[in-house]
Amino acid sequence: MFALYKKELHSYFLSPIAYLVIAFFTATFSLTFVMDISNVTSSVYEFSFSSIFYVNLFYFIILLPLLTMRTFAEERKNGTETLLLSSPLNVTQIVLAKFLAAATILLTMLVVSMIYPVITAMYGRVIWASLFCTYIGFFLFGLVCIAVGTCISSLTEMPILSILISELVMLLLLLMDNLSATAFLSSIPVLSDILAWFSNQSKFYTFSQGLLQFSDIFGYVTEILVFLIWTIISVEKRRWSRR
Amino acid sequence: MVEIKNLTKYYGNKAALKGVSFTIQKNEVLGFLGPNGAGKSTTLNIIAGVIPATSGTVTVDGYDIVQQPVKAKKSIGFLPEIPPIYPDMKVREYLMFVAGLKGVPAEKRRTEVERAMERLKITDVQKRLIRNLSKGYKQRVGFAQALLGNPPVIILDEPTVGLDPTQLLEVRNLIMDLRHDHAIILSSHILGEISAVCDRIVIINHGEIKANDTIENLEQSMESSLILQLKVQGSSREVSKIAQGVEGVFSVSNIQFVKTGVYTYDVEIEKESVRNALLSALLQHGLEVLEVSTEKKNLEQVFTKLVNQKNSDGGLQELLAELRTESEAADAEDDGHKDDAGEFSEEAGDDAAEKEE
Repeated sequence: MFALYKKELHSYFLSPIAYLVIAFFTATFSLTFVMDISNVTSSVYEFSFSSIFYVNLFYFIILLPLLTMRTFAEERKNGTETLLLSSPLNVTQIVLAKFLAAATILLTMLVVSMIYPVITAMYGRVIWASLFCTYIGFFLFGLVCIAVGTCISSLTEMPILSILISELVMLLLLLMDNLSATAFLSSIPVLSDILAWFSNQSKFYTFSQGLLQFSDIFGYVTEILVFLIWTIISVEKRRWSRR
Repeated sequence: MVEIKNLTKYYGNKAALKGVSFTIQKNEVLGFLGPNGAGKSTTLNIIAGVIPATSGTVTVDGYDIVQQPVKAKKSIGFLPEIPPIYPDMKVREYLMFVAGLKGVPAEKRRTEVERAMERLKITDVQKRLIRNLSKGYKQRVGFAQALLGNPPVIILDEPTVGLDPTQLLEVRNLIMDLRHDHAIILSSHILGEISAVCDRIVIINHGEIKANDTIENLEQSMESSLILQLKVQGSSREVSKIAQGVEGVFSVSNIQFVKTGVYTYDVEIEKESVRNALLSALLQHGLEVLEVSTEKKNLEQVFTKLVNQKNSDGGLQELLAELRTESEAADAEDDGHKDDAGEFSEEAGDDAAEKEE
């Protein structure tokens, strides 16, 4: 499995995609950081970066499908799916290797963004505990996006379609609490409660407040698992119907 | 080495394989022959564990492909119809990756890859991007991939598509070399390919095994009919009419124009002695026979006959459907041959260009 993980990670850097995604994320992060500084009113710059991360949640939705769009679609196009399926790996290992490779890129992006807290710490004050929580929440949210993207990529052969559908699904999941708060849905309390559970935004909110809540971690992990298992099922299903 | 029992595969309610069984021994090259769409690739994919069968079992080196997939798959080197290569990777990089994927221990990977590259003569392109290689080289990279980890069973799905005649010969020699310590299954719809390297032949059509025997036995088992090639001066209509009037003549086909008033004909006759009767009939009508040659009955005829065999025992409807698909298959095959021929010359050109570089 490690061989496949290594190859997946390597292949992200064989095309410009990984570079561009990391660069784009760094750019948006920097811009929001600069904008945040210019809005600072107190003489001591002290914050936990939560507003910056909030803005970047939306950029993530646009960016991460670019990473995951090729995971399965490309294999099918190249005819390399047969190589993976005839190798001693099982489908779970294949899906996991691909997921972990994309997660590594995500981790790289977050590590790069650490530069701003460090700069802030030099000239102001950073609430490290809160920042740490925000990072955990952000990383988990990113993993959910990757799981969704991988899943959608296994369903369609066209990368562009996989990007669009993943973005739609992620947006829905992110804004589910806003949706459940609409007049119509809030008139049915049970339904709006259930929908609100799925909201990634409200989960992220507690992280950004410096709170590590078991229910939120559990929520994100469940979402990741659901989409990964769905991917495994979809790949396995296609194995049955392929020629 | 490999035992296949009662394999069936359904897509919806359309049957692609209807109870296929055969075995492959050690040190044996098995030719897997059938027209396009007969179920060759499906069978090979099932053996390699790429797709599951609807029912039936495949045992590789004593391991069931469904029960113990890891051990079974480690015993197989598989080259699918389309070589499974990543265009963005370099040859060596790719082979190292596949070696890892197949669980070759890290310290052995380098020597394994070197060995495979040497066998396929791709050592000189090891640092090039696969994307930039010619089709023949891509095919060989795919072939090298199948040899990694030295699996006892090697499955090759149409391994010679897109190779030029020299490369074809090299692949043939490679297969002859590999048979010393491997069991090999080789699929093809090109008969010459099969008869050159295979010990035993399995012919499949419409998902059923039509024959499973050595080449010699297959050729002997068929009724002896002969093909005469005639070159005659005279009207083509008259010649075929006279020829068909002679007792023992089955058919006149493949009439080709040579020059004004001269045509060549393929005449299928029952036995050797019919030839004289045919010739005298033609001479009696004042036609001048310029050339006569006897074509030896070969695997091609065996193949055509076996593929068409079902017609005799099926119902009328079935027979008609059969004939229709058969002619389609034949057309497709003809096209295939033409394409191959085109590729050969192109390929040779490509390689020449590469050498110049």
